[in-house]
Amino acid sequence: MSTRREDTHPADDPIVTAYALGELEESERAAVETRMAADPRAAQAVAEVRRAAEQLEEHLAAQSAPGLTDAQRERIEGAARDGGQRVIVGRFGSGRWKRVAAAASVVMVVGIGALLFQRRFAAPGEEWLAARRASPGSGAVTLGRAERASTAARYGGRTLTTKGAPAPSSESIIGAFSVEGEAESFGHVTDGLVDDLSGEAYDPIDGNPFLRAGDAPLSTFSVDVDTASYSNVRRWISDGSLPPADAVRVEELVNYFPYDYAGPDGPHPFATHVEVAGCPWEPRHRLVRIGIKGREIDEAGRKPSNLVFLLDVSGSMNDPRKLPLLKSAMGMLTEQLGANDRVAIAVYAGAAGLVLVPTPADNRWAILEALERLEAGGSTAGAAGIELAYEVAREHFIVGGNNRVILCTDGDFNVGVAADGSLVRLIEKKAQSGVFLTVLGFGTGNLKDAKMEKLADKGNGNYAYIDSRLEARKVLVEQMGATLETIAKDVKVQVEFNPLAVEGYRLIGYENRLLAARDFADDTKDAGEIGAGHTVTALYEVVPVGAGLEVPGLGPLRYQENGRPTNAAFDGELLFVKLRYKEPEGDESTLIEVPVSDAGGSFFEADGELRFAASVAAFGMLLRGSQHLGKTTLDEVADWALESTGDDPGGYRAGFLELIAATGELRKE
Amino acid sequence: MSSKQARSEERAEHWIGAALAAHERGLTLYALRLLGDIERARDAVGETFLRLCKQPRDDVEHRLAEWLYTVCRNQALDVLRKEGRMSTLPAENAADIQSADEPHTAAIERRECASRVMDAMEALPNNQRDALLLKFQQGLSYKEIARVTEETVGNVGWLIHTGLKKLRDRLGDEAWKGIEA
Repeated sequence: MSTRREDTHPADDPIVTAYALGELEESERAAVETRMAADPRAAQAVAEVRRAAEQLEEHLAAQSAPGLTDAQRERIEGAARDGGQRVIVGRFGSGRWKRVAAAASVVMVVGIGALLFQRRFAAPGEEWLAARRASPGSGAVTLGRAERASTAARYGGRTLTTKGAPAPSSESIIGAFSVEGEAESFGHVTDGLVDDLSGEAYDPIDGNPFLRAGDAPLSTFSVDVDTASYSNVRRWISDGSLPPADAVRVEELVNYFPYDYAGPDGPHPFATHVEVAGCPWEPRHRLVRIGIKGREIDEAGRKPSNLVFLLDVSGSMNDPRKLPLLKSAMGMLTEQLGANDRVAIAVYAGAAGLVLVPTPADNRWAILEALERLEAGGSTAGAAGIELAYEVAREHFIVGGNNRVILCTDGDFNVGVAADGSLVRLIEKKAQSGVFLTVLGFGTGNLKDAKMEKLADKGNGNYAYIDSRLEARKVLVEQMGATLETIAKDVKVQVEFNPLAVEGYRLIGYENRLLAARDFADDTKDAGEIGAGHTVTALYEVVPVGAGLEVPGLGPLRYQENGRPTNAAFDGELLFVKLRYKEPEGDESTLIEVPVSDAGGSFFEADGELRFAASVAAFGMLLRGSQHLGKTTLDEVADWALESTGDDPGGYRAGFLELIAATGELRKE
Repeated sequence: MSSKQARSEERAEHWIGAALAAHERGLTLYALRLLGDIERARDAVGETFLRLCKQPRDDVEHRLAEWLYTVCRNQALDVLRKEGRMSTLPAENAADIQSADEPHTAAIERRECASRVMDAMEALPNNQRDALLLKFQQGLSYKEIARVTEETVGNVGWLIHTGLKKLRDRLGDEAWKGIEA
């Protein structure tokens, strides 16, 4: 337990309560006993706590509880006899199995998973997804792959975007869609499934298309360390619905998982690992994995933090999955901080205000007490809160430290500067002050996912979606360094494909992180940040030259086969990866270059990290209804994931297997 | 079936039986608090024990209470989440489940004071009430509660401290005396 303020009345000190209840370690006990000897109030407080505890215990013990029914007991006894095997699988099959308790071992999950996959996922994913999309009763027919591609083209691929997670009420859904056109014509959404009226309006935006290496040799994007989409997708599935395609950002799914890449040993703040292997869903293609691992920073090397929490306490946050979860997440984070760190709390609802002035983080009780006083109510004046939080952060700026505003909200700004454009510009301006931004999204229903992602993107920050305490622990405790400690900013990746080796390529995910080729070397163009210990993974699907393959979607050219190649093109390299980054407080970028050749290994020879990333990407593509997956089934995706879980620290990969299982259940329904 | 196998199954049954006897009622009461009706509480507890049957005994037995409350709590929260609501037992229902074989007048008196304490418990934030119940009804330690509720130990200490203090403030001495009677 942390330090307390010396002037705290003993009756207000949780340490005294813990002492009275026999919960302290010996060294801590001695401290309280010394205090009791010196201060009669402390002795009295201990006695009072003990009396109250005794009375409460007595009262609660007097409550008699009914137990289980005889039938239930018989079932349990039966299960005890046969080791539970039959019963558990039976529960699984009934669709009521939700998630393995935190205490259950990974091995058990994998074991059950393997059983389940053999039994359940027989239907090909394509058919299933197509059937899901066709609206019963509207006369719509299942669209074939070609038809879907053509409707996607008709809508310009990106014109119709459903942003964020629609709530299960049709009105708020339409509100949550960002549609360039008439919202009225796009049907309605029920229970998380997008039911369209015309059979085409909700056609998914397919991921990046294949490009010909000869036409477009450069592929440029900003790294994305956000993970919100995965937890949001998980929330949809565990609530019993498949997510709308556009809630699925494949790169965020892939980047949700930590990967076991080696850290940097050179002068750069991160290491880059490129690997080439067979593509599991199209064996004639190659899969290129670019893996980035940020430098780890241990407890002692951590820079002092100046954190300003900006908490949304508007009426829409008054929900068990929002404010209470937020409080508990903040409690966890505070526990990670030390005496050199400062925490301030600003809130905004109808008006913005500071509820906790910057306070040393080891004064946890003061912080927790300020949190406990918070109550939700009022409308949301986001902009005023943002102004205030940045002002406080700047006033207490720690040079060389980690200065950061942590915005906790459901994103439903509805008072003041609410228009996306002006909020984003406000954040962009604030980001220039050297204060970074973390956006933590909470809740369901009116989660304004797109807005929050955009804010984090423009505010030199990251965005995570907190759907549970487990997720809060991942983001704020296990990966606190990655979340809060930026080691490189404006990290951009540019890949040049060798047209002598590559016919065509496709970047998987990162659709809203694409940059123009000329932005790569332009240091005024903002890009993503990498945190301490963070891993970032990007995958390309590559069509090799000489296999007699066409680039999907693009026919052969009449007048040229390739551009004129340079000498380097004859060196047999597949591609050339370039990365640019800036130091957290720097203005000039540094360039890293990695030439990559293809040793020709198959998918199954590739390392487990690549295979697992590929399985997550394939899962995301399946959820999005991507046409690039061919006949790949959920069953196969499950197999790839099962065979590449590795050590799985934190158990996140086991959780992914559960998510696949739950998706299989939903598909059946 | 070999006799060795039969013996090992017997032992397994015995272990689960002992766990059932020790924790069935406590868990049901806890689940009832979270879920608000006895049928769903029984479902959650039943499911918890079915899961227990699947666990290797050596992995679980040394932390049985913690394991059971964690799984049971997750079961209950899943049910609530699926139903899109997070409410708890209204005070009047709490009184309804008082033991039926108590003498009538004693039961009424007990119910009255119980409902005062229950009202005060109900007025607490969910996380404080949860921590108090696990501590004072189920006898879990701060550390165990921390693992069950996925809070930090420090937070649990703070929740219990604050919850207990609020109860005392609200009830005053009179209500507490009523309980002892």
